[in-house]
Amino acid sequence: MRAAFSDTLVRLAKADPKVLLLTGDHGYALFDDFRRACPAQYINAGIAEQNMVGMAAGLARTGFRPLVYGLSAFIPVRVLEQIKLDIAHDQLPVILIGDGAGFVYSHLGTSHQSSEDIACTRAIPDLSVYSPADRFELAVCMEMAYKSKAPVYLRMGKSDRGDVHREAPKASIGALLPIRHGLAGNINFIATGSMVRTAIDIADVHYPDAAVWSAPFIKPLGAQQVATICAQSLAVVVLEEHSVMGGLGSAISEIASEFSPVRILRIGVQDRFSQHCGTYEYLLKEHGLDRASVAQRIEAFVKTV
Amino acid sequence: MNKVLTAPNARNASAETRFAPARLRRTVLEMAYAGGTVHIGCAFSIIELLAVLYRSHLQYPGNNPQAAERDYLVLSKGHGVMAQYACMRELGWLKDEAFTGYFADGSNLKGLSDSRISGMEVTSGSLGHGFSVGVGMAMGAKLRCTDQKTYALVGDGEINEGPIWEGALFAAHHMLKNFMVIVDENGFQAMGSTQEVIDLGSIKAKFESFGFEALSIDGHDQVAINDSIKQLWASHSTAPKALIAKTVKGKGVPFMENNNIWHYTRLDPETFAQALTALAGSAS
Repeated sequence: MRAAFSDTLVRLAKADPKVLLLTGDHGYALFDDFRRACPAQYINAGIAEQNMVGMAAGLARTGFRPLVYGLSAFIPVRVLEQIKLDIAHDQLPVILIGDGAGFVYSHLGTSHQSSEDIACTRAIPDLSVYSPADRFELAVCMEMAYKSKAPVYLRMGKSDRGDVHREAPKASIGALLPIRHGLAGNINFIATGSMVRTAIDIADVHYPDAAVWSAPFIKPLGAQQVATICAQSLAVVVLEEHSVMGGLGSAISEIASEFSPVRILRIGVQDRFSQHCGTYEYLLKEHGLDRASVAQRIEAFVKTV
Repeated sequence: MNKVLTAPNARNASAETRFAPARLRRTVLEMAYAGGTVHIGCAFSIIELLAVLYRSHLQYPGNNPQAAERDYLVLSKGHGVMAQYACMRELGWLKDEAFTGYFADGSNLKGLSDSRISGMEVTSGSLGHGFSVGVGMAMGAKLRCTDQKTYALVGDGEINEGPIWEGALFAAHHMLKNFMVIVDENGFQAMGSTQEVIDLGSIKAKFESFGFEALSIDGHDQVAINDSIKQLWASHSTAPKALIAKTVKGKGVPFMENNNIWHYTRLDPETFAQALTALAGSAS
């Protein structure tokens, strides 16, 4: 996924000299290709995220197409007000990339982990929120963000969980993408980012008739499609490496409750910080987001529907 | 409520007449009274700075506030917005109805600067934003190899904000000689004097230590303002510029001067009349 990120970045920048990459002193080896290919379009703004995002607004105002890169704990969380006032308020074409979302930095503790970034950004008017699951979705999200000429927060989580698509999916903004077809009246899994892989694995083993959908677009989110899926579901399970408050699970529940009420299980981070450090897999387990824990919760939920 | 602007529209008058500080202050008083609003003191301290900038420095080809090759004036201290509105009236960018109907339901002009008003570059009020946006604009102009200039007008209280200094480091490192910060050093912030709240020491020395070329002046002396801006732009240095303007909060109405209650106090019929009289007296 990171190679796809670098490749897409280089492709966009080579095609459009107005594309600028701003980084807050992050992305050490990630930008080697970009710096070689487009050195004049690379700005390391230093360890100064607030100024970097304000500057991105200024650069966009003068005709440039900034992509602002940082860790999701900082971009967007640390700079939420700059995103709101300086960028989203005027619908400036700035793409904000938050890398390492969720518990990727599992050994580093709370400062480098983010389970609130979707909730924070989703409530900002005129700001789109994308959350790709694999290299194909990432390339599609970046292309669509660029073409939209509007503010987008692009969330990049755990990047080595493998492809969930066999090829680049045909996507339109706001659409859930089918990963696995199921039978009508069964369970539907809707997941985003790293948890799409988990949803597939659990469905493959335990729920052969369930459909699995990936949600690379968390905002805007196609209400009609979500309502249709909910209407045809026995129950819905939403999975995300993000707080259960304000993320994809909330977005799906908001639509369902208005148009097509159905039982929904929201799998995500509960209202707690990480307590310990360890491997990524260890931290998922601490938060009940490892495959076994998630499968258990789904099993218990399904018994009640 | 007052619904009349006593200074008639003067589009055909000379720039000296239109941007006369007493005239601009009268517009501010009248709109503040019409809207029943606050922040008069911090608008009054930047009147001469804005008058000189609009009259003699800012380039707006075709008098178009959105001309692609315009200079950028970023009012980072959005609380002084009424002073900018008064100048925009003189440029013909705002109609008199916007002033007499200030703060009426459904009106456009807000109590803090808003980038959706043509002629304003940023949405301010949350302080410390405009400086960075301005640095980005200056960087953009440099990358595009234009001769556009960017001015960021900040308050002295505002420079408590961290992003100002993040942006200052960046501007100096990237040799943004097309960027000028103007500090309205009126000595007050919302809750008291800057000395009491967070003592700033020498603002000029601070910007110099960050790599800026800086001058200190009397921010109500229009000749000094004009000369110093010219001097800074004429410099052969690649450093960004800083103009530290020592000003008086509430300048022009003696009972408002250096009296911080005029950050938050609204005019009533009596104080409005007194202020108009005092303004007329101080201008004569």
